[in-house]
Amino acid sequence: MIIRCALLAGVLGLSTLSAQVTFERLLHAAEDNANWLTYSGGYRGWRYSSLEQVRRENAGRLRIKWVYQMATTQMVETTPLVIDGVMYVSEPPSNVVALDAATGRRYWRYQRSLPDRINVCCGQVNRGVAVLGDRVFVGTVDAHLVALDARTGAVLWDRAVADYRTGHAITVAPLAVKDMIVCGISGGEYGIRGFLDAYEAATGKRRWRFWTIPEPGQPGSQTWSGNAWKTGGGPTWVTGSYDAAQNLIIWGTGNPSPDWNGDSRPGDNLYTDSAIALDADTGKLNWYYQFVPHDVHDWDAVQVPVLVDDEWQGRPRKLVYWAHRNAFYYVLDRETGKFLFGKPFATQTWARGLEADGRPIRLPNIDPTPEGTYLWPGVQGATNWYSPSYNPLTKLFYLAVWENRSVYRKGEQEYSPGNRYIGSVPLIDLPEDPGHGAIRALNPKTGERVWEYRLQTKPWAGVLSTGGKLVFGGSDEGYLFALDAETGREVWRQNLGGIIRANPITYLNHGRQAIAIAAGNAIFTFELGE
Amino acid sequence: MRMLILLIAAAALPGQEAEVRNPRTSLADVAAGAKTFRSHCSPCHGLNGEGGRGPNLAAGRFYHGSSDADLLRNISTGIPGTEMPALFYNADRIWQIVAYIRSLSAAPAAPVGDPARGKALFSAKGCPQCHRVRGEGGRLGPDLTTIGESRAPAYLRQSLLDPDAVVLPPYWVVRFRDDSGRAHEGFLLNEDTYTVQFLDFQSRLHSMEKSGLQDYRVEKKSRMPSFRGALSDAALQDLVAYLSSLRSPGGSR
Repeated sequence: MIIRCALLAGVLGLSTLSAQVTFERLLHAAEDNANWLTYSGGYRGWRYSSLEQVRRENAGRLRIKWVYQMATTQMVETTPLVIDGVMYVSEPPSNVVALDAATGRRYWRYQRSLPDRINVCCGQVNRGVAVLGDRVFVGTVDAHLVALDARTGAVLWDRAVADYRTGHAITVAPLAVKDMIVCGISGGEYGIRGFLDAYEAATGKRRWRFWTIPEPGQPGSQTWSGNAWKTGGGPTWVTGSYDAAQNLIIWGTGNPSPDWNGDSRPGDNLYTDSAIALDADTGKLNWYYQFVPHDVHDWDAVQVPVLVDDEWQGRPRKLVYWAHRNAFYYVLDRETGKFLFGKPFATQTWARGLEADGRPIRLPNIDPTPEGTYLWPGVQGATNWYSPSYNPLTKLFYLAVWENRSVYRKGEQEYSPGNRYIGSVPLIDLPEDPGHGAIRALNPKTGERVWEYRLQTKPWAGVLSTGGKLVFGGSDEGYLFALDAETGREVWRQNLGGIIRANPITYLNHGRQAIAIAAGNAIFTFELGE
Repeated sequence: MRMLILLIAAAALPGQEAEVRNPRTSLADVAAGAKTFRSHCSPCHGLNGEGGRGPNLAAGRFYHGSSDADLLRNISTGIPGTEMPALFYNADRIWQIVAYIRSLSAAPAAPVGDPARGKALFSAKGCPQCHRVRGEGGRLGPDLTTIGESRAPAYLRQSLLDPDAVVLPPYWVVRFRDDSGRAHEGFLLNEDTYTVQFLDFQSRLHSMEKSGLQDYRVEKKSRMPSFRGALSDAALQDLVAYLSSLRSPGGSR
């Protein structure tokens, strides 16, 4: 009995200790393959795990381990985190559950009471939580950031980030960096003035705010005119990356507002549709690169920045790989933001190419018109918020791609608080010409396509790649599939019966590799069967 | 007695709703409403309210109430349990949208033909072989039981003369040969990356794996013959008048 008590105490002691997610632990998240500690599995944004139990030869034996059904009718876009045997999942609109990662049984649930009127352009969704110390952090569609006790789900602090009544909302998974929680904002369809914030994890006090739209007199303000900057958009609704060596937070910004009519905002509209690199301690801008100056097509730069150190033209260089919604794949210098390379990865009919400094060379007649302008890529882009993956074994860049076009229309619209501020509405999907989707592997140095796995429909699911040389992806048709990372050959698929609009993860469940993804209104997990 | 019942019925209505009438109905209001509609409503309800992802708003009948007060409420606060969101404009601006929506169905062009003669033509020309009306007829074309509610006379006329002008996805035809070389065809009901589901022209359902299929193609053409030249203009008007008369017997859903 005494022995048993001692053992029990030891086990409890261990689990208490290991439940502490320190910054040091997050710095090595990508190597900690038993867990999935951040949105992208590590600060570099690779969505890669070195786990290799599931390989091309045995992936056909993947079987469902458990399913967790959510009580929601909203779209599920969450990426779960798995930390020391506990899975933390956000449920739309803004709830959080902690599950036993071995059984899917629930430890606790945080249910947020929301006001009646919520302004979210595209569904009351949430893409995941952050964990730091013994706390779980979630952003809410009424634009609050909430700290929860990781053991009980109790609210530790609850802070208003912005006013939800003016179209602000939080759908992004926050990112824990040092002792801070970095959190973006949604509202590019409501004429918000975008920003990226950092809050003290301990208290909820705001450490800094970077406005993605500079006010008059600030650098970049000359790219706006009149009062357009006040309603200029530039949201930050997809989780960025962190370059620890340079102490830079690298994040993407969204479209200028209004989306499809730029008449009220002549100029380049910095820092919309840009990669921004901020000093993590101060939030000061270190560098930026704008993918689409004066965007009138809603081509947000809301992709996960993929940070890779590799040789570039004969010398080692810190790089950012970025496949943008505008159908171009880019390589940037991570120390300066300088454009190094760009090439289309999908059909596009809007640019002849890119200048030496990366500025697009626009073709004529591409702007929206009252009658409508047909253009590739479509409004939802050649890719979007769902995550790409970089695999250090194959040295390939993987992503989900859309091949389709839209009709871009232009209308007139004045700003009014809490209403959509978009400047007409395009025909996003053409029923007679729906296009198709694909998973593609690119050589990140050249932008060349190495392989393609074609899909009938356009996917809203991200990709994960592994040490087992597999790429996991999902489709709107409800299939989760595993592809050979070197050839794109399908080695396994499973119909989950619901649209997949989320990113896959992998981790160890009692020493066995597991895969998890949200599909329909549920979380599915898989392990190898006998 | 009748008066009394009416009074009771009126009293049972929420008082303010019973009195509400759109105060913004000038031509300028309609034009302003059209502008707002185009920005906010057209992605689901169509550029001219003809419907799409959301219902047709040009038929003058609305699933969630057809009074001015109903429209004001549904646009202002959205419709719970549907994809219809709230639009946070002031009441004046919303009334203009209501005025615009009303204008879409204000003066439906009444068909000039004779519905009774049209009904006889409908049978004589063999339409029921493929089209069903109140449970009678085939299933290889759209059910026309309430077609007069959802389609304007001009649309019906166009469909008769030029059936390929608009062919909705359930009537697209998929054709291919299987790995034994046998030809298949039918209405494409569904497909994904790996499988296809279709209804053949003998009304049998099929689901097949796509791998191994050859010459797989989807034709977006109608199987209905054109009546251009086959019917006099008067006969065509009669047929359109009959189709326009096909409506559900009750009130709005």
